[in-house]
Amino acid sequence: MPAFPLPRRALLAAAAALPLLPRTAGAQGIQHGGRLTVAADSEPPNLNPAIIASNGVFFVASKVIEPLAEASYDGSDGLAPRLATGWTAAADGRSITFALRPGVAWHDGQKFTAADVAFSALEVWKKHQNLGRAVFRDLEAVQTPDAHTAVFRFAVPTPAQLIRNALPALTAVLPKHLYADTDIMKNPANRKLVGTGPFRFAETRPGEFTRLVRNAEYWQQDRPYLNEIVYRVLPDRAAAANALEAGEIQLAAFSAVPLADLDRIAKVPGLKIYSNGYEALTYQLVVEINHRRKELADVRVRRAVAHAIDRDFVVRTIFRGYATTSQGPVPKSDRVFHAPDLAGYGFNPARANALLDEAGYPRGSDGVRFRLRLLPAPFFNETRQFGDYLRQALAVVGIDATIVSNDTPAHIKAVYTDHDFDITVATPVYRGDPAISTTILFQSGLPAGVPFSNQYGYVNPEVDSLIKQAAATIDDAERVRLYRAFQKLVVDDVALINVAEFSFITVARDTVANVSNNPRWAVSNWADTGFTG
Amino acid sequence: MRVLRRILASGEGFSGLAMLAVLLAVALAAPLLAPGDPLAIAGDPLLPPLQDMAHPLGTDRLGRDVLAALLHGARTTLLVAIGAAAAALGIGITVGTVAGFLGGWVDEVLMRIAEAFQTVPAFLLTLALISVTGPRVTTIVLGIAIGAWMQPARITRAEILSLRERDFVAAARVIGMRPLEIAFREVLPNALTPVVSLAAVVVAAAVLIEAALSFLGFGDPNRVTWGSMIAEGRTVLRRAPYLSIIPGIALVLTVLAVHLAGRGVAHALRSRRVVA
Repeated sequence: MPAFPLPRRALLAAAAALPLLPRTAGAQGIQHGGRLTVAADSEPPNLNPAIIASNGVFFVASKVIEPLAEASYDGSDGLAPRLATGWTAAADGRSITFALRPGVAWHDGQKFTAADVAFSALEVWKKHQNLGRAVFRDLEAVQTPDAHTAVFRFAVPTPAQLIRNALPALTAVLPKHLYADTDIMKNPANRKLVGTGPFRFAETRPGEFTRLVRNAEYWQQDRPYLNEIVYRVLPDRAAAANALEAGEIQLAAFSAVPLADLDRIAKVPGLKIYSNGYEALTYQLVVEINHRRKELADVRVRRAVAHAIDRDFVVRTIFRGYATTSQGPVPKSDRVFHAPDLAGYGFNPARANALLDEAGYPRGSDGVRFRLRLLPAPFFNETRQFGDYLRQALAVVGIDATIVSNDTPAHIKAVYTDHDFDITVATPVYRGDPAISTTILFQSGLPAGVPFSNQYGYVNPEVDSLIKQAAATIDDAERVRLYRAFQKLVVDDVALINVAEFSFITVARDTVANVSNNPRWAVSNWADTGFTG
Repeated sequence: MRVLRRILASGEGFSGLAMLAVLLAVALAAPLLAPGDPLAIAGDPLLPPLQDMAHPLGTDRLGRDVLAALLHGARTTLLVAIGAAAAALGIGITVGTVAGFLGGWVDEVLMRIAEAFQTVPAFLLTLALISVTGPRVTTIVLGIAIGAWMQPARITRAEILSLRERDFVAAARVIGMRPLEIAFREVLPNALTPVVSLAAVVVAAAVLIEAALSFLGFGDPNRVTWGSMIAEGRTVLRRAPYLSIIPGIALVLTVLAVHLAGRGVAHALRSRRVVA
């Protein structure tokens, strides 16, 4: 107690505030309470994770709106239950039955039931969601025999493995009572989120911050630990590092601290670097190739380009070691689907030169064989830097690449609608199953204008038939076999050139506990994250 | 020649012109001093300056030689700046002469257009043009000129207005010269002095606008420029500050040189007018 006398009213106020003060909770010494301030670099205009399944949205929305299950390091099938407590697939692949968690309430007090899941699946994921439109295309009906059971019925046999792998990212459940019979895309709850998660949406100030507060009625006993999460908008990457050092923020995820600064940050006392916690969000650094271009239609030229790239150099200097080299479209982090026996293309400029000579493109008097337009995607610093590197690497083998730089909308239009490019640098995301967002990069016959899909003019009927066959195969082992055959085929063809796989770095104060404890940590619900000491 | 001597006589003019001469020499000799592609990966990444004499100013994040980039960057910077200044003065002088000499509705229309351009900040105008046309050296030159022609136009017009009622103009009319011929052959040469001294201001502004464009990523990505070097270095500012500081110093010296030379020129021309 302070030595000086306090007015009685102040004492009463202090007593009322007591539950908000940190109190020890035993396990791992994590205390209840406290405000976690984290760096945010962008503010998505639509925060609804059921409509826009992207990491920028999940980063905030996953704390408020929950999926049926979350990715997990040690759970069965790599999953931890959230709104669903269990799932069983029928042997014919036509249905999956979800047991839903009882006793869960929406933030506005209404009860969560199977009707919410049925509505979200049929009206939102299937119709509006960027990824769900493909995965739930054949979802015919969702039956709700009781308030806590939902049976998904598919028109054609659908692999349960695919649906399981899709649960963390694609199944954010929306409250039916707020969305039914409204214009879902324009619903005000897309900004002021209402969910079942451990945190409630409190307020947002554009350009400043977004604030979430503890949901005292969360279904998991004694969680969450934190009272508040505040997302401070810090678009400048150098600012995030400084704010961490100054203690203004306690956590920066998604490599908000530049990789080049990490060596320095690692030495700052009180800060801790996590390079895990993103295994289910692998980004792939890829060279996209326009197969319509005469020179690039020749597989020898494509192989030459693949041989010209020094993947180790890219990982070492551009990613400063925080990445791994890659040869195929399924990353090594997916131990189930990754084909370990891909030959791939090692760094070998002599071989590249020989292949180009063989293909009939000798060097001209200026040492140039032919010219290409190179469009590095402007998404990351690393994509731009790799664009600069690729230009030099191609110059060594006599290909003169001119860099064309665009902003994001212009880049997406040039590549995926107008096909106005020769090669690009892109970063597709691997989302735990080749069928979610990977096979679409190789499948032919897609209409122009679908972003992040095969707009490269790559057509191989064998690949198409493998993709089709795998999509209808419900046996897990057979699916794996088909997708491994698929990887071998597209790598042989050099449909794209996979260069590296990278994920992100989290930097946090060492008083923040339970960071990076699942493979999608930054976009999971943070219910068990809290302060120690 | 007398003018040049007078410029050199002033301390400002001499130091400015000397610095510009060095810069020009460096820009012209860049392919000899640092042969090959300045963007080629030449060594280990992030070598600090003065450590390895093969790369006296160090290397950047990809291992590209900073000295080579600096020398070749001077070429781009000067090319863009001089090109933009020439284009801006060309447009400005033509518009100003026509407006001032013809007067009437032509003057009204041209000056209203100039005012319309002046209400938009020059940098935004340039930025808008380049984001539409795409960043290439020609469009950058044109973009900067579009944002800078108004001041030369207004000054030319003012000069022409004061000259066009003089006797020698009336005389030219009497001997049967056509109006545009009078304007460009008789009146303009006499009005040029103050406009030319404006060139320094335009060049200095062009250097800075080009740097700012490159810094924002709107420069030509296939050429090295000082602005893009600063922007590249910014991501490793705490670890390797020299990557931003070295091109920054080059930028400061260039703008300073242009300003000093401009003041020298203005001073020399002013004193000549008094003499005449």
